[in-house]
Amino acid sequence: MPVTTQTCGCDENERLTLSRRGVLGRALGAGAAGALAGLVGEGLSTQLAFAAPAYAGDTLVVLSLRGGFDGLSAIAPIGDPDYYRARPTIALPKSQVIGGDAMFGLHPALAPLLPMWQGGNLAAVHAVGQPNPTRSHFAAMEELERAATGTSVRTGWLDRMLGVAGASGPLSGVALGNAMPARLLAGPAPDVSMASIDGFALAGESDKRPMAAALRTLYADVPPLMSGPAKAADAALSATATLRASGAYVPANGAVYPATELGKALRDVARLIKGKVGLMAAAVDSGDWDMHEGLGTAVKGQRMFDNLTATATALAAFAADLGPSGMAGVTVVTVSEFGRRVQENGSRGVDHGHGNAMLLMGGGLRGGKVYGSWPGLSTADLVAGDLAAVTDYRSVIGEILQQRCGLGDLAEVFPGVAPTSFGLATARS
Amino acid sequence: MPVQQNSPTPTRRRVLGGAAALAASTATGLALDVGTAAPAAAAGTVRSAADLVSADPRAHLLRRATFGPTPAALAEVATLGVAGWLDRQLAPATIADGTCDALLARLPLASLDITGTRATLAKQSYDAFGQLGRATLARAAWSNRQLFETAVGFWANHLHISAPSSGVWDSRADYDRTVTRTHALGRFADMLKASARHPAMLTYLDNRSSSKAHPNENYARELMELHTVGMIYSEADVQAAARLLTGLTVNSAGRYVYDVAKHATEAVDILGFSHPNATAAGGEAAALAFLDHLATHPATAERIATKLCLRYVADEAPASLIATLAQVYLDNGTAIAPVLRALFTSAEFAASVGAKVRTPFEDLIATIRTLGLGPEASGTKALDALYNMLVSAGNAPMRWSPPNGFPDVAAAWASPSAFLMRCNSHLNLAAGWYPAQLTRPANMLTALVPVRPATYGALVDALARRLLGTAMRPEHIAAVTAVAGKTPTSTLTATDTAVNGSLPYLIALVLDSPYFQIR
Repeated sequence: MPVTTQTCGCDENERLTLSRRGVLGRALGAGAAGALAGLVGEGLSTQLAFAAPAYAGDTLVVLSLRGGFDGLSAIAPIGDPDYYRARPTIALPKSQVIGGDAMFGLHPALAPLLPMWQGGNLAAVHAVGQPNPTRSHFAAMEELERAATGTSVRTGWLDRMLGVAGASGPLSGVALGNAMPARLLAGPAPDVSMASIDGFALAGESDKRPMAAALRTLYADVPPLMSGPAKAADAALSATATLRASGAYVPANGAVYPATELGKALRDVARLIKGKVGLMAAAVDSGDWDMHEGLGTAVKGQRMFDNLTATATALAAFAADLGPSGMAGVTVVTVSEFGRRVQENGSRGVDHGHGNAMLLMGGGLRGGKVYGSWPGLSTADLVAGDLAAVTDYRSVIGEILQQRCGLGDLAEVFPGVAPTSFGLATARS
Repeated sequence: MPVQQNSPTPTRRRVLGGAAALAASTATGLALDVGTAAPAAAAGTVRSAADLVSADPRAHLLRRATFGPTPAALAEVATLGVAGWLDRQLAPATIADGTCDALLARLPLASLDITGTRATLAKQSYDAFGQLGRATLARAAWSNRQLFETAVGFWANHLHISAPSSGVWDSRADYDRTVTRTHALGRFADMLKASARHPAMLTYLDNRSSSKAHPNENYARELMELHTVGMIYSEADVQAAARLLTGLTVNSAGRYVYDVAKHATEAVDILGFSHPNATAAGGEAAALAFLDHLATHPATAERIATKLCLRYVADEAPASLIATLAQVYLDNGTAIAPVLRALFTSAEFAASVGAKVRTPFEDLIATIRTLGLGPEASGTKALDALYNMLVSAGNAPMRWSPPNGFPDVAAAWASPSAFLMRCNSHLNLAAGWYPAQLTRPANMLTALVPVRPATYGALVDALARRLLGTAMRPEHIAAVTAVAGKTPTSTLTATDTAVNGSLPYLIALVLDSPYFQIR
């Protein structure tokens, strides 16, 4: 009786696309993984402890663009002549822009999302970033996900969002596409990491061979580092059983997800949303943005073009699958640990920088425009050669949390940070 | 000081203090031994992780210094003693390794040099990556040079180059052979310099395209942040180091070359390293002197000592041992073997029973080893399957995409998905379902428990002692026997054949238990 749910399953070659020399999966190395310590398992013993009122906000999907996304390519400041001076070979020519305005142009690789932009369901915010301008991937990512600069808070901000929103179910917060725990979700609120929904199964379990029951006893009284994952797996197995039992998932509206890590992860997010399992927040990753070399021009075969195309294609499939009614209750936000240097280097790439652009997608947005104030790219305007981050990324997310996710006071999620008042989202009724 | 020794029971909002948290978090790893202080403990006492494994120092050593105890390894350390075992393992060339060598002969691409790889494979082929990953897995499972292989894994992770990653299709295996494996028990300064001049590293972190007109900062930053001193550098240091390292590049044959035309001359002062760097011809020597400076920097000594503690001792690296090992490292000119010897014979190591949890990779390999599974008779189908299982778990050898290497603390791997994957691989391997090609004992039951016990409870107890090296508690034995539809007192007769059908499930649950997660 071969067990098939978990064996192999992966086509090795399919997974090779993830990264070239890209950066960051999720948990950090010796440097920062310790910050997770003590967080794992703590909440797991308390989950299901109380019944909160049903969550009535958007499902918030956080897409982490790992490695340092070049917002200056994706949402190019075509109205700023210093942009073209700084990037003589890799700047996006005005002639290639597919949308935007006189100041900012959409990269042509975002074409799959152009209908969303035109329909007001895709927005951008520029010159956003973190307060601390570190150029270390690992330090920047740690701070990005802790999101509580200058405080002693150790949890991930998405965990705190779940806590404030009253998350209580085993699938309230889910990280898709990776078996490892997500730093964003580290903390006491219930969450689960899944490589995939279909792969999330316990081999051998049957009425005759009650493996899960035995595991419950084996993990009843061990330290939370071990008992937490076991108990969360148990709860999430029950909660996903119906989804798996309903057979192969067929996306709606003819949506075709690309066979990429991101495509598969977003497909599973859509599946959870449509399955009404109580998903409040999801974390997914997209890697390989660390383009020190060969970012290239905006044509197929160049790294930025190809990576943006892959990302846009996956997001467009997600939006199509959910359809307008589904997207009415979903907001996607992109974050990245830092932007990239304004001046291109000698490798047709850009080194680590600071200020960046964020993308937001959802039915409740006032999209089709670029929000934020523009600090400029003249030498005097730059901070150590970088685009200034004049808007805190947490403020932008804060506006979403208040307008779309039903949160009031943000002190718990983003201590000391005031939300923006761009009006980039309509208030969820 | 990136260490919090004896930190209190982890709490939800333990103070780490702003930016300091970044550095300090290194060793705030979760104490497994949280015992009674576990938060929100429901009814009952939370047991200490140290109670889940044998405290025998020889078993403790094997759990840490190998990829998993086996009866043969336990017998060896019993004969040689801890000191004698370390002496032997720290001289790996003296240890015969015929079984593993025979298996590696099926993976010839893993040991080809750059020229050979280019002559053998189509450009951008991923075949060498595939064989290298399988060779690493095979060595972990079946090499007799276990301590050496753990050290190779440590250094491969420290000076990490992701595999696969397309630019190093021709050089990644050569890097493994000539940098990591050559220097794993040698001097770190030599390893670092070999790494800096290897086409794989020069490509992975972009130094090959760095030039005096347009320095590329990628390698310079990670060289300091990840490979040596840690986050004590300034942005000015990054820029100066990037310029100093210009010229170290790769030629059209894919080989390392120092290109004087690319080198930026100008005096540098980086982290205490001052050099006139006055001539392009002298640029390589200046760069190597900088690498030596970094390798022998006290911050590097402390960082490497900390990471070795995370690997071999505890997620919360003991500050006293870090200090000791850093000094041994510096006193011995960055030689690695004396550091390992000091580590494994330290009081802190002896006191660390139960303080590490197996990663998915370690769990899979330890399962193979404790079950006595051998390499397949021919071909590599089983290796392919094992490798792919680790791909799914996010822990296939060298397959971590960022340059910081896999995390080495339990909290980074503790997820529901990872837990289920462990359980599923235990059942597949115990039953021989997947991969089916591994060589198995002719009779798994008698191989593990030679004398048939009288009851199912006694059978599970015997399985646990053999597979875990310790006894399971009675309530756990009862939970496991239930999967056979039995209770601990159920009779196991000589003619009971149903036990054979139940055996894979019984074995799997023993391996699924928290006892086996501890290393």
